[in-house]
Amino acid sequence: MRLTRAARENVFVASLLFPGLFFIVAFVFYPIIYSIYLSLHRIVLGLPSLGRPFIGLDNYLRLLEDRVALHSMINTLVFVFTTTFFEILCGLLIALVINRQFKGRGIARAAILVPWAIPTVVSSQMWRFIFNDNYGMLNYIFFGYSTHSYAAWLAHPSTAFAAIVIADVWKTSSFAGLLILAGLQLIPDELYRAARIDGASPWQQFRRITLPLIKPALLIALLFRTIDAFRVFDLVFVMTQGGPADSTNVLQFYGYKKIFTEGLMGYGSTISVLVFVISLVVSLVYIKTVGTRLFQNG
Amino acid sequence: MNKTSIHSILKTFFAAKMYMFVLVLMLFPLFLFSCTQKERDLKTTIHFVTWKPNIPGVQEEIIRLFELEHPDIKIVREIGPHSSTAFHDLLTQKLKNRSEDVDVFLMDVIWPPEFGAAGWAMPLDEMFPRLERAKFLEGTILANTYRGSIYGVPLFIDSGMLYYRKDLLAKYGFTPPETWQDMISQAEVIVSGEANEGKELYGFSGQFKQYEGLVCDMMEYILSNGGEILNSETEKPGLAQRPALEAVEFVRKNIIGRAAPIGVLTYQEPESLDVFIQGKAVFHRNWPYAWQVSNDPERSRIAGKAGIAKLPHFTGGRSYAALGGWQAGISSYSKNKKAAWEFVKFLTGEKAQKIFALQGGRAPTRKALYDDADVLKSYPHFSDMKEVFLTAYPRPVTPLYPAVSNILQRYFSNAISSPHIDLKAEAREASKEIEEIIAMEK
Repeated sequence: MRLTRAARENVFVASLLFPGLFFIVAFVFYPIIYSIYLSLHRIVLGLPSLGRPFIGLDNYLRLLEDRVALHSMINTLVFVFTTTFFEILCGLLIALVINRQFKGRGIARAAILVPWAIPTVVSSQMWRFIFNDNYGMLNYIFFGYSTHSYAAWLAHPSTAFAAIVIADVWKTSSFAGLLILAGLQLIPDELYRAARIDGASPWQQFRRITLPLIKPALLIALLFRTIDAFRVFDLVFVMTQGGPADSTNVLQFYGYKKIFTEGLMGYGSTISVLVFVISLVVSLVYIKTVGTRLFQNG
Repeated sequence: MNKTSIHSILKTFFAAKMYMFVLVLMLFPLFLFSCTQKERDLKTTIHFVTWKPNIPGVQEEIIRLFELEHPDIKIVREIGPHSSTAFHDLLTQKLKNRSEDVDVFLMDVIWPPEFGAAGWAMPLDEMFPRLERAKFLEGTILANTYRGSIYGVPLFIDSGMLYYRKDLLAKYGFTPPETWQDMISQAEVIVSGEANEGKELYGFSGQFKQYEGLVCDMMEYILSNGGEILNSETEKPGLAQRPALEAVEFVRKNIIGRAAPIGVLTYQEPESLDVFIQGKAVFHRNWPYAWQVSNDPERSRIAGKAGIAKLPHFTGGRSYAALGGWQAGISSYSKNKKAAWEFVKFLTGEKAQKIFALQGGRAPTRKALYDDADVLKSYPHFSDMKEVFLTAYPRPVTPLYPAVSNILQRYFSNAISSPHIDLKAEAREASKEIEEIIAMEK
C-alpha cells in the first residue's frame, strides 16, 4: 500500500522523534511513576513474607508525622537557600573578574572551572581532609603548629553544616559564574563608553547597566542552582553521613537510608516523591515568574 | 531540505538492506560477548565481595593458597567500603537486584537474620552440619542462625576491648582500670602529668561518629551499667530507663570533649586507632585487630607499649563487650554454589583462620585455634580473651536491625553531641520509634 505524502512525512517525523522520546519516557517518566507506585505500597525488603500490600496514602500520612523527615526537610531548605545565595554572589564576583581584560585571563578562566570539573565525591573527600581535626589544612591555616587549639569542624552540629555549605559553594560557584559571564559578554561596550562620557561612576555603571542586563543570566543561574541544591546527596554521604546528631541529614540522604540501608522501599520512595514534588513546584514557580520575564528581556 | 530529498532518505532508511546492516551492528557485540563467555567457562569464576582489610596482603595470600589447591576456580575480589553500613548498602543493592556478580560475600554479625529473611543468603544447613558447627565458638554460630537455619560461616570474632599504654600506666603506678570512673581519673592524672613534661595527649579515643560502631560503643556503656538496649524477651527498648540514661549521660559529660577529644564525634575505627598508635591517647576502645596494628613498628609509634584488658564497667555493673565479627555467606543467586562453598570452606577453615590471626590480627572463630601454640605465641592475651569472646553480647537480633540501628545511631549521636537536649524525652521518642519497627515484624 502506498502512503500519502503527508502520512509518510509523519512517519518520518515520528521516527526521528522516537529515540529522544523513548529515552525520556524510559529514564525520566518511568522512574517517577514507579516511585509513586512504590510509595503507595508497604514494601520491606527484609521481610518478604509481608508481601507488597497496597496501603494507599499511609506512607504519606506517616511522613507528615516523621520528625526526622521534618528536620531533614528544614536542613535541606536552609542548605538550598544559603548555598544558592552564596553561589550566585560568588559567581557574580567570579564573572566580573574574568570578564575584565588582564594578563593571564585565559589561565584564570580555566582555573576557575576546575572545582566544577572535579567529581563531587572527590571534592567532598578533599574537604573532609581540609576540615579534619588532626591534620586538616583549615586548622593549620588558623592555628599553625599549636595543635592543642585545633578544632573538630565536623564534630559540632553547626560547624559541620557550615562545612558542607562551604564545600558546595566552592564547588558550584564557578558554574554560576560561567552562566553570568555569558550574560556579561552580551553587554555591548558602547553602553559603558556612553556612560563614562556622561560621567557615571563605576558603581552607577554597575547598578544601571550591568545588573539589569545580566538579570536573565542571573535568573537562569538561580534556577539551575536551586534545583540542583535540592538534590544534594554526595557531599553529605562522603563528609558526614548525616551526623553529628543528624545536623547534616538532608531529605535525599534520609530517603537513601530508608531505601538502601533499612530496606523500606515504600516509605523511602515516599520521600523521593516528596523531593520530586518540591523540585517540580520550585521549577514551575521559577518558570512562571522568571521564565516569562526572561522571554520579554531576551 | 526539499521534500523529494526527505523521501529519498526515507526510502533508504526503510530499505531492507539498511535494516540488515543495523541488525548486524546491534548483534555484533552480543556475538563477541558469547565467545568470551565460552572461553571463561573453562575456569569457574567466584566473585568475592569483601572490604579492604586493615592489614593489606592477608586476603590476597589466602586467595593465592586457595587457587593453588583449586586450579579450576578463579577468585575475583570486589572491594567494598570499610564502613559496615556503607558496605551493607552496596552489598544489599547487588543482592536485591539478584546480581550474578556476587557468589561469596562477607556479612557483619548483625546481618544474617536480615539476609536470611530476605532470601539473599543461601541456607547452608546441608553443607555445614551440626558436627562441624560445634567446632566454632557458640556465640558466632548463634549469630548466623535465624529461625533454625544457618546462613553464614563465622570467619572471625570481634569484641570490644580496652587498649592502654602499658608504659604510661606503669609510670604513674596504675593498673588497668576496672571501672569507667577509674579510667577517667587515671586518664586525667596521666594527661596532666605528661602535659607538664610538654607532651600532649588525650585520655581516650573511641568510635562516636553517627554510624554502626556508635551503637556498639554505646551498648557497652549501657550494659555495663546494668541497662539494656532491647530486652530479648519482652522486645521492649530499655533506653529510657535509669541505667541506660545514666550511662549515656556519663559518655556525654566525661568522655566527649573531656577524656576524649571532641573530634571522636567524627571517628570510626581507623581514625580513632590512628590517635592511639601515634601515641596520642592513654586508653583506646577497639576490636582485636588493633593489637596487631599497635604492635607493628612500621605503623605504630607505640609498638610494644600497648596493653590489652577487658572493657571497664560502672560501679555495681559488670564488663560487657559488643559482639562483632564477620561471616562468609553465599548468595542465593550464585550460579556456582558448589565452587562458592569450596571457597567458603577454605576461607573459614583452620589454615586460613590461622593466617588471618597471625598476619591479620583477627580473633579466630574456631575453638581449636585458641590452643594453637603459634597463635598463643603471637597473642598471649587470647587465652584470657577467650572468655570475653564467649560472653560477648550481641546487638538486637531482628531482620529489621538496620532500621533499629539507624534510630539508635540518631539518638546516641544526638545525645552525646548536643549538651543541652533533654535525654529522657529523646530516649522515649527513640524507644517509641523502635517499638514501631519491631511491631512490623509481627
